[in-house]
Formats: sequence, structure tokens, C-alpha cells
Amino acid sequence: MSDWEPKIISFLCNWCSYGAADLAGVGRLEYPPNIRVIRVPCTGRVSPMLILTALREGADGVWVSG
Amino acid sequence: MLSYNEKIRHIAKKILAEGKVEIVIGYRRGTLPMINEPCFIKHPEDVTRLIWDRHCGINLTNYLTQRKERIGIIAKGCDSRNIITHIIENKIKREQLVIIGVPCKGMIDRHKIASQFEEEIQKVKEDGDKIVVTGGGIEKIWKLSDVLQENCIICTHRNPVIYDELVAEPVAEQKDVNRYEDIRRIERLSPAEKAEFFDDLLASCIRCYACRNVCPLCYCDTCFVDGSQPQWVGKSQDPTDIRTFHFLRAFHCAGRCTDCGSCERACPMGIKVRTLTKKLEKDCLELFNWEAGIDLEQRPPLTTYNPNDPDDTFR
Amino acid sequence: MEYMGIEPGRIHFSWISSAEATKFVDVVNEVTSTVKALGPRKSFVKTPLTTAKNKAA
Repeated sequence: MSDWEPKIISFLCNWCSYGAADLAGVGRLEYPPNIRVIRVPCTGRVSPMLILTALREGADGVWVSG
Repeated sequence: MLSYNEKIRHIAKKILAEGKVEIVIGYRRGTLPMINEPCFIKHPEDVTRLIWDRHCGINLTNYLTQRKERIGIIAKGCDSRNIITHIIENKIKREQLVIIGVPCKGMIDRHKIASQFEEEIQKVKEDGDKIVVTGGGIEKIWKLSDVLQENCIICTHRNPVIYDELVAEPVAEQKDVNRYEDIRRIERLSPAEKAEFFDDLLASCIRCYACRNVCPLCYCDTCFVDGSQPQWVGKSQDPTDIRTFHFLRAFHCAGRCTDCGSCERACPMGIKVRTLTKKLEKDCLELFNWEAGIDLEQRPPLTTYNPNDPDDTFR
Repeated sequence: MEYMGIEPGRIHFSWISSAEATKFVDVVNEVTSTVKALGPRKSFVKTPLTTAKNKAA
């Protein structure tokens, strides 16, 4: 599969990484479009359940960032 | 171990008669051999129903959750560790309990014995260090040490950690036990082999949730597998759903599991459920130097922060 | 997670302050490339019954 692109579910903290993503956008920085961002109020909210659910529903990777 | 009987009954009778407790939770003979039942004694004259033998595998801590009365409870080494976990998690108060500690030499694995018989087992008798089992007209004899539960073979806390009364002198603890050999073997497999291993391991699961129901750690009012809004896990026999249930149940027990073996004992399909919980128990020991249910004062690793906590997985 | 047969590299954790846009981009790149290198995931995907049936047929 040459045209395969991974789907990566990313759980980003509202105050940290989500802010960083926002800043990356404001700064017009380029990054791969493979990540699908889910904003969480705090990465403490991310339980193994969420990660497993993402994988079960077919995500190729999961990224949790605080 | 059979000789504990008199002593257990004596203590139970005493604390009931003195009014120290309103109820004693212990074991009584089950309707089937090798499966003893929990038993709740309220009157001193009923204590003769209490028994103790090599089939008292159920973890009685399960019956303590959120009880209000004063309780006498019979506790093996692993049970006593679960009682500590219960106290730490505010599910019961120490003052409510009179713990009747029982030094334990291991419980018999009913799956091991049942698998050697074609027909139903009718009689099991303990005779010194031997066990005599009769079923379908055949009699088989084993050495007790050959048919113990897997977790009892590698147990390092045979004596109760916490108790008010002790029914016998503490037994010698096992030293130099290779607790995690099987876990290390799985860890060495490649990701694909691991996936296959767990497929096989859990293939026969019928999702009866016996492992959850028998577990003293699983006391949530609504378990994540029972909830439907949101529905976290599918209710079907889909292998992914089955694995999700088992993996997440193991995660919920991280840092709390005392490896009492109840889950494995309860499983009607003989699945080695401990393969999952033991991995997390090993990680807790190696990463945080933590063993559950040893100390009433120490907080569990998942509720504490230490700047020296390992953080290799982060970048 | 690795223990249950998910490849290491499928799941990432990181810690980025809201001021670190460049680190964010670096990490996105790294995460994407490791997952890309691993290829599509094979284990632990829930197959809808219909597709499973189609495969069997």
C-alpha cells in the first residue's frame, strides 16, 4: 500500500499541547496531517480505556501529550 | 492445616459471644467438593459451620465492601493484604474489623485436579501431605505440593500481614521464588506473537464476569463493562471486546492486585487470568518498588508523585 | 500495552508546554514517521460483523 497514510489519534491537553498546536498554527509551522486531535481538559483524563478504544476503532497510532 | 478448625471456631465463638463483632465471615463446606462457600455467622452457637481446609481459596475481603457493622473475618496472607487495600481505599474501617489471621500453606487448584478426571469428582480427602481424590470409581493420589494453585506456588506472603488473632504459629515464608518467569517469557515475544498469545489465552472466555465478581478490587457500583451510556465495551463475543474487557480489568487492578488467585480459581473455562494482572504487579514492583497491601500508612504508587518516578516513556 | 501485543511505537506520550510550538511540530513528525514505519495495524482491530462475513464468503 504505497498511498497508505496512518491515522493517529492524539489526545492533547487543553492547556499544554493543544496550546502548542495552536501556536504552531499561528506561527504557520507545517506538520503532517495524519494526526486527529482530541482536546481533553487535562491529560489526566486519558485512561487506558480511551487509548484502547481508539485502537479498537482502527487508529494506527495513539499519541497522548500533556 | 485441618487442625485450624477448632481454633477458628473457638475464636469466632469468643468474639461473637463477647459482642466484639456482630458477624463473622468465614468458610463453610460447599455443595460440591473443592469449592468452599463463604459463610456468615451471627450467633455463637452456629460457629460449628465454619471450616478450614485446602479449598478456602475465595477471597473473603470481597464481602467487606462498605459494610457498616463490626465484622470478624478469616484472612489468609493474601486476604489480609486485600483487607489493607480495602482500608486504604476507605471501603471499610480498621476499627470495624477483628481479623482472624490464618497462616496458609497454599490452596488446591481445582482446575488441575478436575482436568485429570473424566467424570465428576465425588470425594476429596486430605491425608498428611497427600490428597486423595475419588471420582467416577477411580481414586487418584497427589502430593499436595503438586496440585497447589499457581499463585500459591509462588506466594511470598503466606502469613497474614495484619491480624488481631492468629490461629496458629506463622508458617515459614517461601524464599527465592521466581515469581515472574512466565511473564518474562511473554515479554520476550515479538508484538505479533504476543497478540497471538493473548488471542489463544482468551479465546475460550464466555464473558461470565466471574473473575470480576470474585475480585475484592472490583467493587465499583457500575462496572465499565456494564455501563451503556457511554458504552465503553461491546457486549458481544467479539475477540476485540473480550480482550478489551480483560486488559482493562487488569489495568484497574494495577498497584492493587495482591495475586490472591481468586480470578483464576473462579474462571469456569480455566483461563489463566493472572497472566495479565501479574504483569502489572511486576511493573509496580520493578518501577515503584511497590507491593500492594503491605503497609497501612504508605500510599499506592498511582496516587503519589515522586520526582524520581521513571518517565522513560515520555519525551 | 506492549505486553498485550501492540507494537512499541504505536503509542506515544509526551510533555509539551503551550509555548513550545516547534517541539510540537517535532513530536508530530516523529510520531507520524514511527507509526508510518510500522505500517497499518493488524491486531486488536474490531472488525464489523458484515465485513467479517464478506471475508468468510
